[in-house]
Amino acid sequence: MGDLDRKRALITGGASGIGAAAARLFAAEGAALALLDLDAERGRSVAEDICRGGGRADFIACDVTRAADAAAAVARAVEDLGGLDIVLHSAGIIVRRSVVDLEEADWDRVLDVNVKSVYLISKFTIPLLRAQGGGSIITIASGWGLVGGPQAAAYCASKGAVVLLTKAMAIDCGPDRIRVNCLCPGDTDTPMLRGEARQLGVPEESFLAASSRRPLGRVGTPQEIAQAALFLAGDASSFVTGATLLVDGGGLAGG
Amino acid sequence: MHGLKDKCVLITGGAGGIGEATARRFLEEGSRVTVLDRDEAACRRLEGRLPGLTAVVRADVSDPPAVARAFESLDRELGRLDVLVNNAGISVRSPFLSITPEQWRSVQATNLEGVFLVAQQAARRMLAGRGGVILNMGSTNGLLGYHYYADYNASKAGVIELTRSLALELAPTIRVNAVCPGFILTPMQEAEYTAEMQRAFSDKIPLRRLGRPEDVAALFAFLASDESAFITGQCFVIDGGEIAGGLASQA
Repeated sequence: MGDLDRKRALITGGASGIGAAAARLFAAEGAALALLDLDAERGRSVAEDICRGGGRADFIACDVTRAADAAAAVARAVEDLGGLDIVLHSAGIIVRRSVVDLEEADWDRVLDVNVKSVYLISKFTIPLLRAQGGGSIITIASGWGLVGGPQAAAYCASKGAVVLLTKAMAIDCGPDRIRVNCLCPGDTDTPMLRGEARQLGVPEESFLAASSRRPLGRVGTPQEIAQAALFLAGDASSFVTGATLLVDGGGLAGG
Repeated sequence: MHGLKDKCVLITGGAGGIGEATARRFLEEGSRVTVLDRDEAACRRLEGRLPGLTAVVRADVSDPPAVARAFESLDRELGRLDVLVNNAGISVRSPFLSITPEQWRSVQATNLEGVFLVAQQAARRMLAGRGGVILNMGSTNGLLGYHYYADYNASKAGVIELTRSLALELAPTIRVNAVCPGFILTPMQEAEYTAEMQRAFSDKIPLRRLGRPEDVAALFAFLASDESAFITGQCFVIDGGEIAGGLASQA
């Protein structure tokens, strides 16, 4: 008996980090999955791993920033799964540059992956959820969608947009029994976080040590963020919508 | 939820409404649950309804000696405390100009000072033991203004700030979070509001329904469980989307 028995979930960015951790957890809780990612090799490997463990997961290669790709992937996911109950938007990237140093292509790419993909995948999945009588959509923003951070201008702008896109969708979708909530992780030990150290040209270990300076004294694990996503996905949160859940070890609780 | 089995849980104001639903939820999770409430008759009725409770302690959270005595008896009966749910609270609908100093003090005493007194007793024990989780009852009224509950709203804003400050000071041993419910239909409110009034309230909420005590109980269980191990200093809104937008969303 799992928390997501008989549920069907679509996860973007399911090949690594928080998306992959959520995929493993959702599958363990009984959900059948469609994993979308640009990285077909890693995505397939996560799906195969889940299937070997007795779970159910299909991988669908998809560039979620392109409408035609997103529409086709959603259509295939629904065909594979026989319906849809949960959408987790975990595709995301970061470019650690200030406005002055950002190239136009960086800006476009960050906004496309982090924001436009949420719009596109939601646009194509909401009518399906509505027709089925409801569902749960979870977006992933960041602590840096609520406060600013250094050398991350496009990322902060994109995550702030996700926070309010979530609330706007929650208002529009509530009457259709579709809940839409936003998960805001603090620094979490993912390939993306370690990639930031490389972008900034600092050693990974000292970057992680600096990221650990928060009340709980450590960075989060992808599994911990996945647990929060599971809570928002399942019936335990059936009155929660339009909410922002910060999972950050107390990082933004105060100074 | 994971990690709630055999946990020692104390719920203030637990003899009815959201507190009782929370007690029931933690019992279902296999926790050892103690309820603290000042309402003697409600405590007796609760003992009949929830025989699985470890103890039901009569005490007023706004009375420092009574809180201290209650914790001494808990020390004897439970021996330790893992989870505190600071749920006790009162509200009286009054236009601002009608709030008497006595009413103001009484609302702050139960809703804010009560949280302080009980949290301090609990934190001492959790720091000396294996750590723990403190959960406080905030409200969406502590985040936005609302008509005719100025004293209550101020008390809940206080609870939210107290939550964040405790999260910093008590980390990493104790996690401290608040929940901020919107309109939750407790048995008391079910009796107070006509079906028509309830429908009018529901229409302003994106999910088109009022919350149930069980909804909030499930959130408390999540925030007390191992699933939320990286969450502290948070105020979690559970309101069916009511405050996701301003007035525009209520058209």
